[in-house]
Amino acid sequence: MNPVLGIAGYVLREAMSRKFILAFVVGITLVLSVVALSLRLDVVDGALAASRLFGEEIRSSIRSVDVALRPVYTAAAFIVFYGGILFGIVACSDFAPSLMSPGRIEHLLALPIQRWHLLAGTFLGVMTLALGGTLYGTTGLVLIFGVKAGYWTAGPLIAGLMACVGFAAVYAVMLTTATLVRSAALSAAAGILVLVGGVIAGFRTQISSAFEDGLSRTAFEAVTLALPRLSSLAQAAGDIAASTPLEVHSLGTLLAGVMVFGFGALAVGFWRFEGKDY
Amino acid sequence: MDNRRRRRVWLGVAALLFVLAGVLMFAGQGDSLPKDDGPQVEFPRRMRGEERERAEKRRTWVVPMVADAGTVTQERPRPRDPLLAALPRGPGRTAVVIEANALRHSPIGELLLDCMMRDGGKQLDEIRKRSGVDPLQDLDRLVITDEGMMLSGNFGNAKFQEMMGNAVSADYGEGARVYEPGESTVTRPDGTTETRRRDTAVGVWNNQLFMVGKTPDEVKAAIDRVEGRGPDGPSVIPEGSTYGEMYGVLSVEQIAKLLPPEQAELAQRLRDVAQNVELHVDASSDVALVAEVRGPDADKVTDLGKSLGAALSLARMKAQAEGEKEIAQLLDFARVQPDGDTFKLEMAVPLEAIKERLAFCKQERQAAEATAK
Repeated sequence: MNPVLGIAGYVLREAMSRKFILAFVVGITLVLSVVALSLRLDVVDGALAASRLFGEEIRSSIRSVDVALRPVYTAAAFIVFYGGILFGIVACSDFAPSLMSPGRIEHLLALPIQRWHLLAGTFLGVMTLALGGTLYGTTGLVLIFGVKAGYWTAGPLIAGLMACVGFAAVYAVMLTTATLVRSAALSAAAGILVLVGGVIAGFRTQISSAFEDGLSRTAFEAVTLALPRLSSLAQAAGDIAASTPLEVHSLGTLLAGVMVFGFGALAVGFWRFEGKDY
Repeated sequence: MDNRRRRRVWLGVAALLFVLAGVLMFAGQGDSLPKDDGPQVEFPRRMRGEERERAEKRRTWVVPMVADAGTVTQERPRPRDPLLAALPRGPGRTAVVIEANALRHSPIGELLLDCMMRDGGKQLDEIRKRSGVDPLQDLDRLVITDEGMMLSGNFGNAKFQEMMGNAVSADYGEGARVYEPGESTVTRPDGTTETRRRDTAVGVWNNQLFMVGKTPDEVKAAIDRVEGRGPDGPSVIPEGSTYGEMYGVLSVEQIAKLLPPEQAELAQRLRDVAQNVELHVDASSDVALVAEVRGPDADKVTDLGKSLGAALSLARMKAQAEGEKEIAQLLDFARVQPDGDTFKLEMAVPLEAIKERLAFCKQERQAAEATAK
């Protein structure tokens, strides 16, 4: 068995044993069930004629169902993107520190695997968890609105997958931080810093005009050039979920950039982990 | 590979990956400010500041007070807009106002002007010479009613006498002249004469209103309404509804007549459910239309709204399926907003779409002007 996959399985088993993750799954199921049971959509020839939530009619205009659902899908994409990353930061922050805790790390290092396999496996395990949760939530959403409104779109699913790419960049930094300092709190703090930095990086062109021309603006542009542009990715996810035109030049290149940033952060983690004494 | 060397490789790979990531993200997002390319349509839903100001400026006409022995305390009449005063009264009437001057200075007006002047402006010059009226300068509003047509503006330089020739005419009321239909002989600028037949009656009020009606009585009735001698009911278009570049009230019967034969069922439903339709079109940027349909039975009105919403949705799906991107984009804005015994139908045509359709007008105008030079 591939050692990376083995470690990923180990991380997944540990996650399953945690009540926090179980609560997350139950939470998603509960939200989906509430939406499924309380929402009534009256669709006439492809137009959303009326909608009721908990039996109360929502005052809205009659328009094409896909146009009417655009704000819902956009909001869902943003919730999945930012909410998912935030939840991931909190829920997964202590995976790596606990894996590297005294007693366990010695056992793991004694295994006939390379050190970088440990980090790569942890990363893969956490990403599998994030992917599973995202797919579960977004598929549920697509199914509910598909059945109720008769409008089927893979937009929210794609948006969910893009959120996973964003989380990969964030978690890679968290994992690397854990190799520097064995602390779940610091690991989570690093994740939140990258998230905030990523939001700023997405708006770097707009924000940079607020800086005076000169060193401060150049420094801001240089720092944000390297950060993953998470807000741009979130915007693109919202656009895809709502089937509206994309604002970014090339989504594929942007996605690849964010993913490569994650691998870069992971490579720093490998460098640090290879030289660390336990 | 020893540990130290391996670490160096990881560090080198990390640096390379960060550089690559920066380049990819820069190329992927771009470094220009995001442009708002999507059409942003502003629907005329209420009177805006400049329209309120415009309406106030148009309150220029004060109905003269009737002199009496001083026994009755008379309230000083408030100034009013003579054109609105001239409009017919009562339900089931049609009156649509086109703000010619505002439309002329809008982007769509520029496009329409290109179409009007495809001959290099020869026809327009001819109209100017013969009538003494410059439609681009002197015309303010044009109204179409079910009785005829009215124009408002500055007709001080108009050559009515030359245009009407020896048609039978008489002064009427305070400052109006009514021309009867029939044959008249007109003297051309070159001195020759021409006999013309006119089937409509024409009225001119204070060189501000030009009215065309089927009979002299209809024209006289409009003048009576302006001068305060007509019925005292509210105008078919209240001042509060004078917003947009085109607005008014259409009788359901008129709308039903406008619908094609294949929409006979919808036409009948309109007749059954609605009383009248209030229309507002904004052309200050994109062309946006709001139609408010009102009827006595709230349930039936809502059902009609749902049917219209569904029809628009089907049309949009059809356009998408047939690859008609432009039409599908237009119908993105289409929606029906039910509200008790009324519903509002909103539709829009982005300016870019109209520009593309009317591009030939500009080319033909430029070609005609180049030939004239």
